[in-house]
Amino acid sequence: MNSYFGQFGGRFVPEMLIPALDELEKCYEASIKEEGFHAELANLFNNYVGRPSPLYYAENLTKMLGGAKVYLKLESLNHTGAHKINNAVGQALLAKRMGKKYLIAETGAGQHGVATATVAAKVGMKCKVFMGEVDIKRQYPNVFSMKLLGAEVVSVKYGTRTLKDAVNAAFKYWIENLDDTYYLLGSALGPHPYPTIVRDFQSVIGKEIRQQMEDKEGRMPDVCIACVGGGSNAIGMFSDFINDGVRLIGVEAGGTGNKIGEHAARLSVGTPTEGIVQGYRSYFLQNEDGQLSDTHSISAGLDYAGIGPEHAYLHKAKRVEYVSVSDQETLDAFKLLSLTEGIIPALESSHAVAYALKEAPKLSKDKIVVVNISGRGDKDIFITAKALDNDNWKKFLTNETISPPDPLSTSRSTQNKEGEDKNVI
Amino acid sequence: MIKNKFSIMTHVVAGYPDMDTCRELILTMADSGVSLIEIQIPFSDPMADGPTIMEASQKALDNGVTVSDCFELVASVRDKVNIPLLFMSYVNIPFRYGMEAFVKECSRVGIDGLIIPDVPFDERLDYVSLVKGKGICPIQVVSPDMEDSRLKDVISQSEGFVYTTLKVGITGAMKEISEEGKQFVRRLKGYTKLPVLAGFGISSKEHVEQLRGISDGAVIGSHVINLFNSSGTIGVRNFLSSVQ
Repeated sequence: MNSYFGQFGGRFVPEMLIPALDELEKCYEASIKEEGFHAELANLFNNYVGRPSPLYYAENLTKMLGGAKVYLKLESLNHTGAHKINNAVGQALLAKRMGKKYLIAETGAGQHGVATATVAAKVGMKCKVFMGEVDIKRQYPNVFSMKLLGAEVVSVKYGTRTLKDAVNAAFKYWIENLDDTYYLLGSALGPHPYPTIVRDFQSVIGKEIRQQMEDKEGRMPDVCIACVGGGSNAIGMFSDFINDGVRLIGVEAGGTGNKIGEHAARLSVGTPTEGIVQGYRSYFLQNEDGQLSDTHSISAGLDYAGIGPEHAYLHKAKRVEYVSVSDQETLDAFKLLSLTEGIIPALESSHAVAYALKEAPKLSKDKIVVVNISGRGDKDIFITAKALDNDNWKKFLTNETISPPDPLSTSRSTQNKEGEDKNVI
Repeated sequence: MIKNKFSIMTHVVAGYPDMDTCRELILTMADSGVSLIEIQIPFSDPMADGPTIMEASQKALDNGVTVSDCFELVASVRDKVNIPLLFMSYVNIPFRYGMEAFVKECSRVGIDGLIIPDVPFDERLDYVSLVKGKGICPIQVVSPDMEDSRLKDVISQSEGFVYTTLKVGITGAMKEISEEGKQFVRRLKGYTKLPVLAGFGISSKEHVEQLRGISDGAVIGSHVINLFNSSGTIGVRNFLSSVQ
């Protein structure tokens, strides 16, 4: 397998991780040659994940925008509510084949953590999810779900206490527990072979879009738009179209401004700077000394200083356009899609929607734009409600915390006194 | 680089707890008889480091330590200590600085060796040939789970000495040195004429004694930082004097 995308990618890890990465590469190469593996994966995709996910014609939105026809790829309707499950299912099968007993994962928004906890329960493996303390605070619903699914959620309290630190923590734990543990990495980044494996498992998104477009319109789309944090939903959407003339747009988190610390736009704000961090060569938000910068985004899933190496390559090759939208534009798009189509997108995916709102009106009516709704917005209620309906939200939270406990849960809450970090619900 | 005696290599994080104290620590270590000192340039995302070194790195960065401060630290102690000084850091530090410029600066301030644990020898980033002929040894780090053929390839790239970890894991003090680690050092000695220094987990005089006759030296990293944190420069001096 090629470990580079142009000059990007590679396997920049301490020697002690090399045997585990070699083992994974061998297992993956052998598995994809076996019909049995594909059958097992297809079965889980169809019957557990709920694939294919719909490609939905957003008629109201299209009429409102008055330009190109807008389709939405509803990865939000997958089991667990986002595209993350595609990769989690695939890698869990590999972990099983390698005879591992434990799955570990990093998570930002919590979607990948939930997906990993879910497949761990499904395939009968124990699961530990590393999550930055900041993200734990803003993604409580997903933290709760992970615990409910039997996973242990480990709060990462160093560095920026967000996704990048969760990745570091997962790597450190893995190095210490290589024999029986598999690191189920959630985005198309990290050392080879992860970027390739994650892309391949996510490429089902683009393949389905091609087929569904053929069925509905008899042709390919003109434009595909996806949000880009680490970049797995985007690369999954784009990879099948890279060699065709489809316009591909990746939307980064523009946050609240263009200064370092105010956004998470590696490619579209300022001059991208190359680095080698967390096992791969790519572009990173970093200072002059090569220290990773603080990032900000309203969406935890895009709040990350690096970007998958294949995106770095596609940027340099000018094959994909990388743009950014602000937190405010994201919230506006979030509201608009909810109102016009009855679809509440994740804040991550709302970035892609926000850019589509700008782009579709510029295009003629015979053009077709597909937007990847990579996840649904339920998990973001603590952010969106605060931003959009603050007074009522506060009242609700206050009432919830002061009202007498539900008699059915009294005994459990007594046991729960030891501390929030305990894996007890 | 390694003299004909059992060598102790200690570790400091540049700028921890502050530049002046760090300088004093380096001088103390040299004065206490250590054979080499590994100076870590702090990095925001140190993948192979445990809590002790990670926290020290974070503190140094919070203090505003820059890469150029690290070069100046070495320049300021170079004439005062008579032992090899090595830089250890993660690849993004020299990569962002510019590999060639970084090596040139290392030469200027008198760095004797480089330890960059996250650049496997077969990746597309050949710093080994960059340092050749400049008096800077590229020190390769190996660990017990490596396959023989790869192990031989990696150590063939090392100069000065080979640095082996005693466990497959991250840095940090341990209660015991594993038999597996000691076995690995013995195996490694059969493959190379270079001295072998062993580290990761060494945290007592007994550990050092256990390595005598097996390896050519011991690397004591997290433990000296823990000692400094609990009992200051004096504590570090007393410990180092006891292990000579």
